[in-house]
Amino acid sequence: MPSWKFPFRKSPLDRQFDSELRFHIEKLTEENIAAGMTPEEARRRATLEFGGAERFKEELRDVHRVPILEATLKNFQWAVRFLRKSPSFSIVVILTLALGIGANSAVFSAIDAILLRPLPFPDGEQLMSLHQYNPKVKSPQARLAPLRLEDWNRMNFTFQAITGYYTEDVSETSGELPEKVTAAFVAPRFLQVWGVSPRLGRGFTPEEEHFGGPNAVLMSDRFWRRRFGADPGAVGKKLRTFGLSVSVVGVMPASFLFPEREADLWIPVPLDAPYSQDRGSTWYITVGRLKPGVTLEQARANLITVQAQLGKQYPKTDADLTVGIEPLKEKTIGGVRGSLWMLFGAVSLLLLIACTNIVALLLARAAQRRHEISVRISLGASRVVVIWQLLTESFVLAVAGALIGLVVAGAASNVFRSLAKGLPRVEEIHLDGRIVLYTLACSVLATLLCGLFPAIRGTRGTLSGALSQGSRTQVSAGAPLQWFLVGVQVALAVTLLGGAGLLLRSFQALGRVSPGFDATRILTLHISGSWGETADMKGLTQRINRTIEALRNTPGVEAAASSAELPGVPTQYQTELKFVEGQTDLDHKIVAESRFVSPGYFSTMHIPQLAGDPCRDPKFVTDSSNPNQVRFEAGSVTALVNHSFADTYLPGSKIIGGHLQVLGNAFLRADDAGEIVGIVGDAREEGLNHEPGPTVYWCISAPDPDPHYLIRTSMEPTLLAETMRQTIHQIEPARSVFDIVPLETHLSDAFAENRLRTILLTFFAATAVSLACIGLYGTLSYSITLRRREVGLRLALGALRSQIVKQFLWQGLAVTIVGCAVGWGLAAAFARVLSEMLYGISPTDVTTFVSVVLLMLLVAALAALLPSIRASQVEPMQVLREE
Amino acid sequence: MPIEKSDLLQGTLDMLILKIVTLGPIHGYGISQRLRQISREVLLVQQGSLYPALHRLEKRGWLAAEWGESENGRQAKFYKLSPKGRRQLDKEESNWNRLAEAVARILQTAQ
Repeated sequence: MPSWKFPFRKSPLDRQFDSELRFHIEKLTEENIAAGMTPEEARRRATLEFGGAERFKEELRDVHRVPILEATLKNFQWAVRFLRKSPSFSIVVILTLALGIGANSAVFSAIDAILLRPLPFPDGEQLMSLHQYNPKVKSPQARLAPLRLEDWNRMNFTFQAITGYYTEDVSETSGELPEKVTAAFVAPRFLQVWGVSPRLGRGFTPEEEHFGGPNAVLMSDRFWRRRFGADPGAVGKKLRTFGLSVSVVGVMPASFLFPEREADLWIPVPLDAPYSQDRGSTWYITVGRLKPGVTLEQARANLITVQAQLGKQYPKTDADLTVGIEPLKEKTIGGVRGSLWMLFGAVSLLLLIACTNIVALLLARAAQRRHEISVRISLGASRVVVIWQLLTESFVLAVAGALIGLVVAGAASNVFRSLAKGLPRVEEIHLDGRIVLYTLACSVLATLLCGLFPAIRGTRGTLSGALSQGSRTQVSAGAPLQWFLVGVQVALAVTLLGGAGLLLRSFQALGRVSPGFDATRILTLHISGSWGETADMKGLTQRINRTIEALRNTPGVEAAASSAELPGVPTQYQTELKFVEGQTDLDHKIVAESRFVSPGYFSTMHIPQLAGDPCRDPKFVTDSSNPNQVRFEAGSVTALVNHSFADTYLPGSKIIGGHLQVLGNAFLRADDAGEIVGIVGDAREEGLNHEPGPTVYWCISAPDPDPHYLIRTSMEPTLLAETMRQTIHQIEPARSVFDIVPLETHLSDAFAENRLRTILLTFFAATAVSLACIGLYGTLSYSITLRRREVGLRLALGALRSQIVKQFLWQGLAVTIVGCAVGWGLAAAFARVLSEMLYGISPTDVTTFVSVVLLMLLVAALAALLPSIRASQVEPMQVLREE
Repeated sequence: MPIEKSDLLQGTLDMLILKIVTLGPIHGYGISQRLRQISREVLLVQQGSLYPALHRLEKRGWLAAEWGESENGRQAKFYKLSPKGRRQLDKEESNWNRLAEAVARILQTAQ
């Protein structure tokens, strides 16, 4: 028996000091009385003679004090030795914790990388995403004209600098085959705003940013490795793109993943080029770097003032516009914040269930160890010392769990990365010191959650009581606390299961919608193109139509078309329109989704024509003021509207033959009014989860130089991928073909986040249910072990085995039913959190909750059945003889 | 004139306690009484020195302690010599005797 020394205990050592010293004083008093003093006087003298008792009690404590470090180390040694003596118990606890902590750390690593850390740029919190918008319409078209960007940059006083970029998928033709590269065209001050310098070479010189100056390009680290094998001599080499030879001036660092993760090249756009002078053009995705100490609100107010001045100066192009600003990080994260916190909540519940499970195990164990603990306390160890020792055991378990948990977390974040490729910043997720610290914090928390209560409870009660009451005489084993914990686990598991059920059903509902178009057997692809081609609309339109024609004539292809957006993949592009033939009624604005499609779009996508004629290609004229510009001939543009548009805006009026004018759009000018030639059926263009809204289809294969090509095939679409590539290579040898993917893949990718959270929550819920069942199983088994004698006795007295089974089964199920009832309530609360993420299903969906509860009951019944049957197999004589 | 703790040589008190305890189990009060009586009132050990010394010796394993009933029926803590303490006492006694002899010889010779 080791002597328990502890620095801050009060008893029982202190009590011993007291009585030893008191004995001495009493003897002195007796002596004084014998010498003839009165008892009072004797005691007073004795106390005086003895001196300050408190003072040298402290000296006595000093004698017994053991350095805390030494005591802790000893505790750890004992804990490890003790846990090794019961390996199966230790392994169950460690694995449970590893799962709980590992899942928690994995989700936290994603939250840390995506939500908590600043963007990987110097002073990343100063970076702001800026856009212009017309408050009257919903549209992602928030890009800036080069001139306006320069105005903002010059006239504000809250930003260090403002820059912008746009990307194009182009061909690079210095190799044997044209290679698709993603080029980012950047406004001046690009590197300054990001605060990043090239790892090799240099940034752009002012001459390179001038029209007619030398061509220059910066490469991405990835492109440099792929194309030049990371050769440091690559700087100064030439690349061929856009039919031009451009020189490489530098290589950016690998960590520079913005503006677009895919970007291979950065190319400066000359501000003074003739084509940069249109205030109506919408080119740049805009980013600004705030001056230190400037707040978002100050910057917003400042830019709004700037834009208001521009509105007075250029009423035609600028008056309707205002400024949007948000931290670049927020824009990058987008909507995943809700999903991640939801998952974190779920995974924390899981950890809580794991801890509850372990509390039940430790309680059962503390009951078995009651005797040992009593002996220890009776031999002089203080309660705090014993609690401390029990906590050390829990901590050793928790740390072991956390270490395995880190391995689990590493594996889990790999799975997370591959499941969540589309998530922003997902490449930044990795395990580092912060995650290790977090995991350790988790294990300390788990120690307290799991260990404190059983330790306090296990050391309670008088020792004599425990010593005299041997385990053999124990008959009743209500263990109400353990059953309460099982109930808690069931309730939490039902909560998670309810949430998972709702997400699953909503995912199914999404799969069941009829989108109004037919996405099966559609192959999509891209062909590199340059925005410069849009100057000649005729050439661009003819080029795209020629490609579509060639695709359509390939064996195995039923139809082909192009569209600027993919049908069913969530995007919104709303424009404000005017019905030329209608009354001018300013209160009655027409706002509709705009789509640019080639005439064959509807037959390819199987969108039915309800009335009128099909699409016609527009005619073209050369701009009288600029011979390089070829535009649409007035009155030749045609459009189709969907049923919802006709119903919402022009019910009852004769709409075929009428004209629609786009307000405030640079591409379709007011005089490009389109004639409505027909009406088509409603389709879920803006996303499968969106009811079809009013939509206008402009029959224009352009303006996007790189539209999505949609090819309806008569066989499995991927089989035709190579044929398509060859077909296009024959007619467009200088262009690269890329992203050859079935439309259904795009649709499922579009809901990847949705799918990710559904899969993860379902996994967490399944784990929670398993843990709850293990808890139920363990507690029932434990309670049966304690009651073996009683069972034996009853069987000996004639009880039926089936009664025994029924009794224990019911004991387990009763707790489960109560847990389910509470869990239903919790799940209803959880569902309210989820309601934003649900589609086609109400957060109070009774079918889901009833199935969840039934599932839980079924699994719980299975878990309870096994120990109950085992209980009934007890041999009465054997059990009674054992005692 | 009584000699107080500060005048006792360091370690001497420990040895005296061990010696007293050889006579049989005895409590703290008894030890202080015996010290006084045997030294004929020369050595007056303060309780503030006695008890820490007792506990220190117990902790080193030279003394073994247990609670028992005193002459007048009250619970008291009794100290007795452990085998380890006995060896320690032998060692200290012979050291002391050699030291005392040496000191005495010097004092006599120098007279």
